[in-house]
Amino acid sequence: MNLLFIGWNHRATPVEVRERIAFTPEKAREALKHLFAERILTEGAIVATCNRSEIYGLSEREDAADAVATFLSSFHQVDGGVLRQTAVSGGGEETVRHLFRVASGLDSMVLGEAQILGQVREAYRLATETGAARVVTNRLFQSALECGKRVRNETTLGARPTSVPGIALLLVGRVFEELEGRRVLVVGAGETAELTAQLLVENGATDLRVCNRSEGRAAALAAAIGGRAVPWESLVTAAAESDLILSATGAPEPVITAKALAEARHRSRRRGPLLILDLAVPRDVEPAVDELSDVYRYDVDALNEVAAENAAARRAEVPKAEAIVEETVVKFRDWFGGLHHVDVVKALRGKLEGIRRQEVEAYRGKIAGLGPDAEKVVERLTDSIVSKILHHPTVGLKEGNASERLERADAVRALFRLDPPEKP
Amino acid sequence: MSAAQLASALGLGALVLYVLATGLYVLNLLRPSAWTGRLATVAAALGAVLNFAALYARAVALESVPYRDLLGSMKLFGFFLAALNVVLELRHRDRSLGPFLMPAALVFMLVALLETPVPRAPSPQFKGSIFALHVTLNMLSYAAFAVACALSLLYLLAGRALKHRGRALAGPASRLPTLAYLERATRTSLAVGVVTLLAGLSFGFFWAFRIWGPQNVRWGLDPKVWVAVATLVFYAAILVRARSGAAPVTTARLCVAGFLLILISYTAVNLLVTRLHSFT
Repeated sequence: MNLLFIGWNHRATPVEVRERIAFTPEKAREALKHLFAERILTEGAIVATCNRSEIYGLSEREDAADAVATFLSSFHQVDGGVLRQTAVSGGGEETVRHLFRVASGLDSMVLGEAQILGQVREAYRLATETGAARVVTNRLFQSALECGKRVRNETTLGARPTSVPGIALLLVGRVFEELEGRRVLVVGAGETAELTAQLLVENGATDLRVCNRSEGRAAALAAAIGGRAVPWESLVTAAAESDLILSATGAPEPVITAKALAEARHRSRRRGPLLILDLAVPRDVEPAVDELSDVYRYDVDALNEVAAENAAARRAEVPKAEAIVEETVVKFRDWFGGLHHVDVVKALRGKLEGIRRQEVEAYRGKIAGLGPDAEKVVERLTDSIVSKILHHPTVGLKEGNASERLERADAVRALFRLDPPEKP
Repeated sequence: MSAAQLASALGLGALVLYVLATGLYVLNLLRPSAWTGRLATVAAALGAVLNFAALYARAVALESVPYRDLLGSMKLFGFFLAALNVVLELRHRDRSLGPFLMPAALVFMLVALLETPVPRAPSPQFKGSIFALHVTLNMLSYAAFAVACALSLLYLLAGRALKHRGRALAGPASRLPTLAYLERATRTSLAVGVVTLLAGLSFGFFWAFRIWGPQNVRWGLDPKVWVAVATLVFYAAILVRARSGAAPVTTARLCVAGFLLILISYTAVNLLVTRLHSFT
């Protein structure tokens, strides 16, 4: 019986290989069915993201990892040698630790990223739906999800964004409760301006204006994002009347100067906080606008600086997250170790023997009144009853495949309450 | 137990809860957790309830409005601060005002507990709802200006953190409300303060006319009256400026300065200068 994982991820496998063995939900279902039909696995699940394709499962074969690689080679029509060379695999506790680290975002390309927990949940849902998740997979994935949640709640591993768009949105959220109704000025109509403006629209921006030297491109972008174009000559006036400025032109010099903005804001009646996200290099907005009250300017360097600080803060949280992973691994190990059939039979016998002794002790006075040999007879009789009760469970715990045996062992442990109650 | 002793015991209970709430709010700002936050709110709310009960017991002991002297009015002020904090928190689901308002409520309650009210027959002029409304509304306006001051301090802190790049995105500053909310809430508090101060002063004038008659207007020369009118004009001007598009940073600074004026009016003017408002 072998609890194993084999996978291809961003750490060891080039993207050319990863994209060829990517799993859609349909493909994952189909692969799982084949893996059981060919008796490579008795249960399992496939975690599929853009950075990893990993198979977790229980097998009775010693060469299970190799067999999975061989199967996938024919399933995805990829050279088996390449797959074996670039695979990451492990068995037993390594499998558990790896999945828990994946679910916690510790193994992600962007440390602590949030989506992975949802992707592990999706993998588990798919495995349950196809009947591939049985007792070990259930416990393994439930523990992984619990571990991931704990890491998110008890550490700040994923709390601070590390991407420029993520930081930009967070900054917007520090100034405005919501983007709806806030006046957003997009300066420039290139790719950066368009992508960031789209992001703002997705996050609730409704009142957008686009200002660009080429009026045609401004009109096109305005139409694409549901805003309206503003003539280039009105740039500073429009800036003064905005709540948020997103600037990304290719201009060689600042297009918004501190003096012009100060004068325009003085003329304008709109004086709330103004957030400026200057994504252009060279910068579009003169740094001297920092001196204006209620104006908050962030250029690319500032955003990158924040990104670097946040990444460092995430790295500092790794030991805490690893400790949570280890704690969860130990809990799983204790549970999994308790499913070994010899241990289960031993624990069950101990439990029944305890009950037998207790009852015999309770009736000892009455038994003594029945005659000199009564005590020995009762001892033999009750001992024999216990042995007979234990016979079928003992045999049953050895029958079937690994998953079936472990399912029964788990059921016996639960039904006879063989585990000590968990500490709160 | 006499009503006066009961008032002191209830006040002490309120004080203990305010200490607890202050500690929990600060802890929640530094190391946020759902339970710390909830406990802080519960402590502040229970403290306000006990504070109100203490005021009621004091009213019974004095047979008059319980806040016609300095310490009684401080107890009322503490109550308003705690109650406004809880109301704003429940309304906006935001606990960032607590670490600023609760210590103030605590200080006022602490000072107020330095005396035990001695029952004495109130002068007839201090009876009646007009006088009670005058004092209550004026105290409510002071509490609203205190909230505006706390919101303004938060605005200045949050703005400063945003000017220093990533500081607004990490640590306690990242848990402050948004600038837009702080600006809006400051304006609302200012409006509440101006309206209640105007109403409180109007009731005061009406009460004075009734007591001394229109032919005797010497009460109008009392320094406290002039300071109160000046406070009203000052805050009304800030409000008008804020509503007509003044820079929020300037409004915030003026609100902080204005509250210093109130503190001076409430302490130095009442204790040293005025005769009619000298807390009998």
